[in-house]
Amino acid sequence: MAEAIQKKLQSELEKYQQLQKDVSKSMSARQKLEAQLTENNIVKEELGLLDSQNTVYKLIGPVLVKQDLDEAKATVSKRLEYINGEIQRYETLLKEMERKSEQHREVLSSLQQEYQRAQGQAVGKV
Amino acid sequence: MLLDMLYIVLLVVKDCRSQIEHWKKVENDYESLQDRLRTLPDKLSYDIMVPFGPLAFMPGKLVHTNELTVLLGDNWFAKCSAKQADALVEHRKKHVKNTLDDLQKVMKNFQNRADFTDDLEKLTGDTGDFADIREEVINEEEVTKGKPRLALKPNSKPKQEYLLELEEDKEKKEGDEERTTGVLSEEELWARLDELERQEELQDERYRLDSTDTNGEDTTSSSEEEKEADGGSDVQVNGHQKENGWVPSSITSQMNGTNGSHPEDEEEEDCNEEAGNGLPTIYFSHTAEFKKVRINTGKNTTLKFSERNEQKAQAKRKKKSGKSNGHSPHESYKITSPADIYRVFVDLVNGEPIPRKSILKSRSRENSVCSDTSESSTADFEERRAAFGRSWSHDDATHSDTSDGITEEESPTGTSPRTNGRFEAFTGTVIEKDPLPCSIPHLTIAPPALPTIPERKLEEVGPEAPQEPPKRMSKFKATRLHQK
Repeated sequence: MAEAIQKKLQSELEKYQQLQKDVSKSMSARQKLEAQLTENNIVKEELGLLDSQNTVYKLIGPVLVKQDLDEAKATVSKRLEYINGEIQRYETLLKEMERKSEQHREVLSSLQQEYQRAQGQAVGKV
Repeated sequence: MLLDMLYIVLLVVKDCRSQIEHWKKVENDYESLQDRLRTLPDKLSYDIMVPFGPLAFMPGKLVHTNELTVLLGDNWFAKCSAKQADALVEHRKKHVKNTLDDLQKVMKNFQNRADFTDDLEKLTGDTGDFADIREEVINEEEVTKGKPRLALKPNSKPKQEYLLELEEDKEKKEGDEERTTGVLSEEELWARLDELERQEELQDERYRLDSTDTNGEDTTSSSEEEKEADGGSDVQVNGHQKENGWVPSSITSQMNGTNGSHPEDEEEEDCNEEAGNGLPTIYFSHTAEFKKVRINTGKNTTLKFSERNEQKAQAKRKKKSGKSNGHSPHESYKITSPADIYRVFVDLVNGEPIPRKSILKSRSRENSVCSDTSESSTADFEERRAAFGRSWSHDDATHSDTSDGITEEESPTGTSPRTNGRFEAFTGTVIEKDPLPCSIPHLTIAPPALPTIPERKLEEVGPEAPQEPPKRMSKFKATRLHQK
């Protein structure tokens, strides 16, 4: 009886750990997105400071490609929106994962209690 | 827990600090860049040494000094003039400044938190009501009276440990010299165990009896022992010795530690608060005097003083002159230590104020029914008591008890027969004694009015009472016996 519980405990523990890893991955991805967000904001502002006389280039690989100022502005805005959307997505994902991990935690604790009880009983029997 | 919080907060603060440093560097870089941008378009071209790989330079020219390709971020570039670049840099600097300000705010908040937790910790943990009271014991070589008794019950080890813990918790600590437990011989060990047991019993007795005071030899001695014993380390042979009638004997130095301090009259407190170990330390020193003599408790007895009492006597003589007989003057005494009590209670013998050894005993045996406390002395005592109010602390009383105890032991048994009809209020608690000759205690036992008289007096009460170790008797039993 105790062994069965122990096995269950182990499996639950593994699941929980996996979940934790996912959570941390999502977290780091989200942080990266946030950095990009701030950067793109600055780019947008600086593009605003320029006028159409300046040529704007975009670095694609090793090549600097000429871009139109307005096009650049549009691209940057689109990118910004995209980033925002991504962040939202990650947010929801993170919340979901948090909830699941909480559930797992509860399960784990109850299993642990059961296990200890079983241990106690075993000791008592012996 | 506070420590953990503090740690975390400090970590955050450290992190903030490093980030602030980083951003400050960035700001400085932008500043110098701006300077360069301002000077760059001054000339059409510059002669420079162009870096050629990592190890070489090559003379060259810097041209188009106003055309700059600026990285806007996220792989976007823009060709601008120097002035426009300058504007861009300015814009970025604004961002950096904002970040810096935020970091500073965070750091300040966390710093405040850290300080607060620090203060809180200091407040709660440091002071409190605890002070480390230490007593350094210097001499251990004093000769003690009494033989070490053979322990009769060899099974009291656990009690000893209990006592050890109990007494270690007590405030008074003696120096490390006192804590010699390892080297006791077996017999001494038994004696020690026995003592500890007795101590425990005495403690229990004491709790049963009047709560305000512990009277009587045993409790006195036990209280003394408890006071003196450091973690119950040394054998409290004092009690035994008292009972055995002060047969002096030499005991090993380990025992002498406490025994040496035992015969003292009083304790003097030298309170030096030292700020050590986070706890204020009060250094407590016994002025242990080896009591070689007894103090006059009556006209019949020899008059010997211990040094202290002599000093006191002298002090008293200086103080007062023409004091009334034996009655303590109702002067404005301020009793702050047990010594003061002795100063107060002074017998006038031959016109001279003589400190009396036992406050509760009457001066003259003739006056009193019993040589010890009982009637007259108690009467006097009560008078005095009224005068003083109950300004005596438990300690004081115990001390008086102690001295009484000591005195009584040595008092010659050839005292006038106590039997008398004068039964006055007995102002003291009666310590339980053995179911010994009933003649002993009843004569002068009255319902105790005040619980500060050592019941040693009871011993002497009984006519020709053998010098038996007094057994404690509860006051109720005493009353009963008395009434019978």
